[in-house]
Amino acid sequence: MTNILLGYQPLFDLFLLHLGMAYSQWLVLRAGVFSLATAGLAAVGAYTGGILVVSLGFPAPVALLLAGLAGGIVALGLSIPLARLRGVYQAIATVAFIQIVLSLNIYASGLTGGPQGLNGIPKTVGTVTLLIAGILTVYLMYTITNSRLGRAFDAIRQNEAVAASLGVSIVRHQTLAFIISGALAGVYGALEAFHSYALAPSQFGFTFLISILAYVVLGGRNTIIGPIVGTAILLLLPEIARPLAEARMLVYGLLLILVINYLPHGIADTLIERARARRLSARLAKSDSVATTATRN
Amino acid sequence: MLDIADLEVRYDGIVALRGVSLTVGAGEVVALIGPNGAGKSTLINTISGLVSAASGTIHVGGEDFTHLRPWTISAKGVLQVPEGRQVFSDMTVLENLQLGATALRGRPSDLDVKDVFELFPILQERSTQLAGSLSGGQQQMLAIGRALMGAPKLLLLDEPSLGLAPVVISQVFAALRTLKEKGMTILLIEQNATLALDLSNRAYILDQGRIVLSGNSADLAADEGVVAHYLGVDAEV
Repeated sequence: MTNILLGYQPLFDLFLLHLGMAYSQWLVLRAGVFSLATAGLAAVGAYTGGILVVSLGFPAPVALLLAGLAGGIVALGLSIPLARLRGVYQAIATVAFIQIVLSLNIYASGLTGGPQGLNGIPKTVGTVTLLIAGILTVYLMYTITNSRLGRAFDAIRQNEAVAASLGVSIVRHQTLAFIISGALAGVYGALEAFHSYALAPSQFGFTFLISILAYVVLGGRNTIIGPIVGTAILLLLPEIARPLAEARMLVYGLLLILVINYLPHGIADTLIERARARRLSARLAKSDSVATTATRN
Repeated sequence: MLDIADLEVRYDGIVALRGVSLTVGAGEVVALIGPNGAGKSTLINTISGLVSAASGTIHVGGEDFTHLRPWTISAKGVLQVPEGRQVFSDMTVLENLQLGATALRGRPSDLDVKDVFELFPILQERSTQLAGSLSGGQQQMLAIGRALMGAPKLLLLDEPSLGLAPVVISQVFAALRTLKEKGMTILLIEQNATLALDLSNRAYILDQGRIVLSGNSADLAADEGVVAHYLGVDAEV
């Protein structure tokens, strides 16, 4: 029994790492920013952490914090041009940003190891650290969701003009969402670096970007549970159905098409909405019958 | 309170407002009436900063508001109840109201959720329900309540009667009358001219982007020429 569980430990680690990235993506979407920059910001964090530890001999925990800071600062810089763009243009701009980061990883070979990647990173992060990070991340997201800040994000996403006319500063809130998302991506990038001995320049490329986006779209964009469901399903599916592992991207694509068509708000969100609607109609039916009884009496 | 001078607004070259001048005194209810496409919503959205003015000025309480951002304008107490309610349907009634308090930004308010519930008791009954599940009239009440939570010194109402059943319209207007009696300064846009003239002290008639008439509401309502020309719906009845 223990052996079977141990066999799945690397997969569980991967799940936790990707879950953090998924929340970074989830948070910006929640605030109505159509940014795909998480992959690029994760690369910034991963290389910052890796270089600090390998070349400069920083202790891993300090490097982790600095990686988060680097992700947040780069996100802040990126938010300035992004605030002038909307919708699909934000997506295009952030994809361009990812390309720039990936090119830098290759061309700045003195710093990043270039095409060979950054090797010899001591492995300091295991399942326990990732689990703690995961719990803290979910807690942070939960706190944001249930605060004034979360409501302001929701308002902006649902109707930017009305939110603005109610006193919600669009620029300030979207910048804040972007910085938190960037810091999160930076931290998880560094966690990945400290977990896997080496970084490859293409690791945070297009495939990674699509995977992260797929977790959020498939699981749900508006509830906390969404990214957990999406990441779990998309990571576990190829493992459970082994023959599918080769065709992972194909499976992602098919699943996304199915979900967008039949569960447009993602698996978790759609199910929660349906449960809520059922509860409401049950309550209304009950109050109606009470009213009828009352009239009869 | 509100002073608009010679305001001109264009959308991609098409002129929506031409030299509009208008004032609303403190504690006054002013109606802005006119046909579809006259520029009524454009005017309110320009005051709110959602649309920018090509020329002219907007002053509120003596302060220049012409080029402020929308969230700054609402933070200074000029709040809009948008056309078509626009409540946040995924949030509960209470959350919608709490969001309305964002505009306070430290300004004192003598009004809280309890007062909104007193004005619209149905909202208290539905406070934990999602706003999207409310009827149109309840959503309109919520939209008004949400704006009140931001302690407006000037309340802009865009077509509060739109798409509502007559009995619900009279409930909404009864609440507006209560606000008027409490001294709220209101600029009201309405297509239903009879209702608007009945509630307001003064009125402006906007047609094709120009103010074509203004005066005391009672005088305008009594003027047969005005009724026949600009308030056609009522003249036919």
